[in-house]
Amino acid sequence: MVDYKLLVPQFLLAGLAFGLLALDLVLPPARRRYIAYLGALGLVGIVLSTISLRGQEAALYGGLFLIDNYALFFQGLFLVMGAVILLAAEDHVRKFLGHAGEYYGLVVVAVLAMTVMTSAGELLTAYIALELLSFTFYVLSAYATRDLRSNEAGVKYILLGAFSSALLLYGISLIYGATGTTYFRGIAGAVGGTLSPGLLLGLVLLIAGFAFKAAAVPFHMWAPDVYEGAPLPTTAYLSVAAKAAVFGLLLRLFSQGLLPAIEVWRWVIVALAAASITVGNLVAIPQTNIKRLLAYSSIGQAGYLLVGLAALSPQAVSGVLVHLAGYAATNLLAFTAVIAYYNETGHEQIEDFAGAAERAPYLALLLTIAMFSLAGLPFFAGFTTKFYLFTAAAQEGLLWLVGLAAAMSVVSLYYYLMVIKQMYIHPSRHSPRLRPGFVLTGVLGVLAFAVVAIGVYPGPLVRFIETASKGLFS
Amino acid sequence: MEWAWIAAAAPLAAFPLVALRGKWLPGRGAYISIAAIGLSFVLFWLVGADFLRRQADHFSITWFNSGGTRLALGMIIDPLSVYMLGIVSVVALGVQVYSLKYMEHEPRFSWYFAVQSLFAASMLGLVLSDNFLLLYVTWELVGLCSYLLIGFWFEKRSAAEAAKKAFVTTRIGDVGLLIGILVLFKATGSFDIGTVIQAAESGQISSGTLTVAALLLFAGAMGKSAQFPLHVWLPDAMEGPTPVSALIHAATMVVAGVYLVARAFPIFEAAPGALEVVGWLGLLTALLTATMALVMTNLKQVLAYSTISHLGFMMLALGSIGFTGGMYHLMTHAFAKALLFLGAGSIAHGTGLTDIKDMGGLWRKMPLTSTLFILGALSLAGVPPLGGFFSKDEVLAAVYHNQGPVVLGLTLVLALLSALYMARLVFVVFFGPDRSRESGVHAHESPWQMVVPLVALAYLAVTSGAAAFYLPGTGEGLGQFLFWEEGEAFHPLWWLIIASMVIVAAGFVIAWGIYQRGWRVARALEPVARLARRKYYMDDLYQWTIDRVVLVFAGMVALFDRTVVNDGGVNGSGGIVARVGKRLRYHETGRVYNYGLVMAGAIVVLGLMVTLLR
Repeated sequence: MVDYKLLVPQFLLAGLAFGLLALDLVLPPARRRYIAYLGALGLVGIVLSTISLRGQEAALYGGLFLIDNYALFFQGLFLVMGAVILLAAEDHVRKFLGHAGEYYGLVVVAVLAMTVMTSAGELLTAYIALELLSFTFYVLSAYATRDLRSNEAGVKYILLGAFSSALLLYGISLIYGATGTTYFRGIAGAVGGTLSPGLLLGLVLLIAGFAFKAAAVPFHMWAPDVYEGAPLPTTAYLSVAAKAAVFGLLLRLFSQGLLPAIEVWRWVIVALAAASITVGNLVAIPQTNIKRLLAYSSIGQAGYLLVGLAALSPQAVSGVLVHLAGYAATNLLAFTAVIAYYNETGHEQIEDFAGAAERAPYLALLLTIAMFSLAGLPFFAGFTTKFYLFTAAAQEGLLWLVGLAAAMSVVSLYYYLMVIKQMYIHPSRHSPRLRPGFVLTGVLGVLAFAVVAIGVYPGPLVRFIETASKGLFS
Repeated sequence: MEWAWIAAAAPLAAFPLVALRGKWLPGRGAYISIAAIGLSFVLFWLVGADFLRRQADHFSITWFNSGGTRLALGMIIDPLSVYMLGIVSVVALGVQVYSLKYMEHEPRFSWYFAVQSLFAASMLGLVLSDNFLLLYVTWELVGLCSYLLIGFWFEKRSAAEAAKKAFVTTRIGDVGLLIGILVLFKATGSFDIGTVIQAAESGQISSGTLTVAALLLFAGAMGKSAQFPLHVWLPDAMEGPTPVSALIHAATMVVAGVYLVARAFPIFEAAPGALEVVGWLGLLTALLTATMALVMTNLKQVLAYSTISHLGFMMLALGSIGFTGGMYHLMTHAFAKALLFLGAGSIAHGTGLTDIKDMGGLWRKMPLTSTLFILGALSLAGVPPLGGFFSKDEVLAAVYHNQGPVVLGLTLVLALLSALYMARLVFVVFFGPDRSRESGVHAHESPWQMVVPLVALAYLAVTSGAAAFYLPGTGEGLGQFLFWEEGEAFHPLWWLIIASMVIVAAGFVIAWGIYQRGWRVARALEPVARLARRKYYMDDLYQWTIDRVVLVFAGMVALFDRTVVNDGGVNGSGGIVARVGKRLRYHETGRVYNYGLVMAGAIVVLGLMVTLLR
């Protein structure tokens, strides 16, 4: 007997998504902005029902769908991210895109997909949730229908995404063939000893499929093109939420299903991590477009997260979760600031940020905070969360990888500082002052507060996350 | 009381508000700043009342856990911190109200109040902090505020130079403090002051380590409290606005060094030789700068040297195990000296004069300011029954009990000198003929916003003497309060009190003779006076060292840095990284089939890896 009370957030999400779609039909165009506000309000409301489930432990549908503190932590994170994206996107959608209700509805569908991904206790459930997420993103990427770059991004994403889905499915079928189960716990019982060649291949294909979704080198090549072509709010959502969901799924799969075979896959993950960190940070340097810059930066960040996955101790999982939370706040701050700037100017080249400090001092300050945090400077979230993550990885003996990650963090400071240099040192070529809207300003303020709060006083967040990640190893 | 942290947090919150949005706030931000420090002052009363009902207390939250070490943010509520909380908040409040009028026409008015708020926050955080880490952070923050406020008129070259000098000189001491804190951390594994003190008292730390640590802490105190040979920055710091001199360079920040020694007093007691160094260095500083105060002619400079001298006197008290005396003198001096500086500001405001050679006869033109200023001067000179008299005698008693006759004799000479230079100020500035052509026309009394803080401080300077016998609310004297459990009463030594009164009287008579009657003593002492006027050539010595030694060495290092480190190391490695990045960029072709091929290839490589590494 399934206890439906535990699924209330998912039902509410589905209802909210369809409700937003329907509102698009009913409301006159001038009022469609309220769909975004209503959606954000709804998502925040659903957070309450997530909170009410706190502490529950349950395996629904015979273990297909798991409810625990870990899943609920991610659920809360995705709901908040969704709300932020809705509020940050509203202005942009109204000015540059059409069909507002559909856009917002799809954002909420993505939230639903992500909550299922991190609750999945079995490979096919995970796969279906991942496909739901991918399909919403295919649409969201190609949403600017009259923009050729957006169309190109959608086509590239769907082609390569289909390729990776095929890899994933093939991997799952090989694993099922070798172990006779797709449940994480069942797989854990079957991968203890020497692995058969079929299982090994299945494992590699599985990792490759997920590495594609997480944009890890060398499965990252779609990312810069899609990030650049997609509408800005989609890029923001893709870089933060999709990545968090994939890692939420991976951590559960690896700790509950593949931990006995850690010696087999660890070096694969380490190789992916090292490659992502190096390539992401180095290729970010010559970029001229802010979206592409942030795309490569997020490839580098995926590398840092993979370091935590390779370590896979309870502390390392906490480290990944802490870093994900900090990175989410930081990257959303960066993207929201870029969205606000783009909405007013229509520019997204880094050199177009020249003189931003004079034209929009508040925006420039907040973007600077985001850049410092991404680079990992103290007092901002990026420093504290990287510190936790790298400490945990170093305790597991991955010293050289941590060293590489730290060195590449220094390199990353260079290209983040280039943006700040444009804003503060180069004179503006356009003079008028920019006045981002009230909602965007408010969202920016809240995000900046979160970035600084996590950076200065991470204690409560860390304690909360430690209770969430403990459950994975019990 | 758990809410004590708000005393520091309120001004801290005011800082960004006033700094960023000052222009649009009531009173250009000044009212916000004053409201914040007012709240701190109210909290002092609440915390104080609550504290008297209960016992010493200590709250902390974990800020960061790193490798088993807990870094905490915490505060300690004990007699010392409550006492300091009161002194700092009341003087800061008075000075901010005073500044309202004094700084009225400044273009950077809001910035001034913003920094005042930041200063109040850091100073209150400093005295409430329960661990060395937070103490060090706030210690550096007050230094930063001092730098910003000395250089408030940074367009003026001398002000910018003075700010730099203050920052660099105190920084020399700060390095010592930091090393001292780390030495103690290494020995005990904790930054918590209480834990470290316990370890020191129970003999867990070897006496050698303890002495090194105590002396390093004292190095920090020497920088902040301008003790010889790091005293050179404080006179130059008078380039800042006068209210700043009153608050930071007389009443609060400069006593942070004294406070540090008092807070860590058990460590100094347990460390052999440490207190002797504190006492002797304090005495040396006090004597040296008292003679300089006697010959300087700029009013604020005289007050600055007097401040250093009194700080040395407090150090001498602590070095003579006169904990109560030192802390007591800290309070009476804070009130009196803040009063004197604000009075000097009022004189400058009313007459436009800063040099005492141009002043004279001000008594008739600015009666209120003059009265209040003279009250402060008399208190510092040690005239009964004002505050300074009692605190000085408390220190004298401690010196008598715990030091030899030589030190006692020198301390009495010091008492004579400090009476002498204060009497000189009183006679030259307020009595005698008017020596200036312009001042007679313009001299006027200051507006009420400036007078009210003066009156309040004068009230405190006069009545703080009573604290020796009766502290309101406690029913006991200050000695019992500060020591709490093992309290010591005020212990007067009658013959010492009479001796000191005679000395003060002698000082006033001599000053009267020289500056009113024209006795020819000054000429006979001219060589000494010249030496003192040139600041014993300390500044010249430092300048020579910087020019000839530091800069030459720095030049060589810079050359190495430019060629090897910069061209080779920094630009070289940076160039390589950038070139690799540019080259790697071309792997992104934009063609989907290339991407698919790379993925397929990567799977083959990963598959081989897994198979071969098995």
